[in-house]
Amino acid sequence: MLFLKCLIYIGNLFLIFNTILYIKALHRSKAFIIFTVFIFVICIIQTWMTLSSVISHKNNLYLNNVFFISQFLLLSIFYKFLIKKKIVLFIILIVLSFLGYQYSQNYRLFFIYNSIGITLTQSILIIYSLFYLYRSLIIEKPEFLLINIGIFLYLICSTLIFASGNLVFNLKIPKDTYLLLLKLNAFIYIIFQILIFVEWRTNYYKKTHK
Amino acid sequence: MENELLQEDAQIVVLILIAISVLLLMAVALVVFFFFSRKKIIATELEKKDLTISYQKELLHATIETQEEERKRIAQDLHDAISAKLNVVSLSTNVLIDGRLNHKEKEQTLQHILAVTTNTLESSRRLAHNLLPPILENFGLQAAIEELCDEFMNSKSVTIDCTIAYSNILSKSNELHIFRIIQELLNNSIRHGEAEHITILLENNDAQVDLKYMDQGKGFDTGSIDIKKGIGLRNIESRVEMLNGELIYTSEIGKGATFTINIDSVNRNDI
Repeated sequence: MLFLKCLIYIGNLFLIFNTILYIKALHRSKAFIIFTVFIFVICIIQTWMTLSSVISHKNNLYLNNVFFISQFLLLSIFYKFLIKKKIVLFIILIVLSFLGYQYSQNYRLFFIYNSIGITLTQSILIIYSLFYLYRSLIIEKPEFLLINIGIFLYLICSTLIFASGNLVFNLKIPKDTYLLLLKLNAFIYIIFQILIFVEWRTNYYKKTHK
Repeated sequence: MENELLQEDAQIVVLILIAISVLLLMAVALVVFFFFSRKKIIATELEKKDLTISYQKELLHATIETQEEERKRIAQDLHDAISAKLNVVSLSTNVLIDGRLNHKEKEQTLQHILAVTTNTLESSRRLAHNLLPPILENFGLQAAIEELCDEFMNSKSVTIDCTIAYSNILSKSNELHIFRIIQELLNNSIRHGEAEHITILLENNDAQVDLKYMDQGKGFDTGSIDIKKGIGLRNIESRVEMLNGELIYTSEIGKGATFTINIDSVNRNDI
């Protein structure tokens, strides 16, 4: 448990650090601004999540729903600027209406893992990231290449982990075993943060320090 | 019993872990594949660009070389045909000014000066004509090519069969390119190919202009000419390039040479 907490805290600290770096390096590219907003928003949600679990020990799974919906919304807009296809906006509308319908049918869904919602939104993001990866093949210096790879790897793993959330919690499993899943998620999350940092170091460090 | 249940449930977690590991492995493989492909694609693109640049450099060199050759020729012509003769005129005039000549000698000298001046005039006219044939400007490409063929047939032992059905669809500057190409081809056939019979066919429809040129000279090896092209051939190539046209040439040693040039008249650029 302690090890998992350490991993989560390292990931969160890294996220806060990256958010500060990106806000400081902020420049006019729309994709860059949206990505900075994205890490800023998830930074707030993560901190809130950590604080609420430390202070109140209450169920904070509703934050998980806020997390994946804002992640889908902001990353979709991010990919909209990278891929430059209007269909992304239509997909956002369709998915948001679907989620709205889902929550209106069963509001309690907001307080547990919404497996279908998570799988749907993250799969769509994976498809965008694959599409952008394909596009980067022929571009000599593609923007956000490392971030895109980070998003791709992180989403592929976390989709399955989050989607299996309800199942794992309902089963009588030794704590150590299901903590393994969360550790894996936290570990890949740190890799994602490292990739975000490396992207900043290679592409934006010089620009802000010139 | 409870232990067994716990173990069964734990197996599901193990299964999920295995699924995640497999997915992660595939994702990493995909990213590695992506980087290798990207490296290869960019290397190919760079190679292509290098090839284009080296081709353009070669063309530029050919153009500069041609220009230098042309300057040398003009300088030589000016020196041989004009300066030398004007020198003669100057010397003869000096002799006349000295006044030591008798009447008959004076008349002979004057006659000589007149002959040399007429000759020089003719030379300067020919020189100017070679630089830019006035007939091309005044009477069009067809007349200019016909005159060119006549000139060649008069001065060299060659017969030229010239068929032209051209309806002035190219701009003047592009017509000059075609004229120069034909001039270069004729020069090459006579100088290098020692051809005795040449056929020129120039025709056009609404969309394109076709030039077919055949000689029955010595021919050349197209395999070795690619490696070390003469200035003449490179000059022709760069002109065809400027016309956005296509040049195909075939030749065999002892069997003459054929040049086909197709120029798209719709997309022609007026250089």
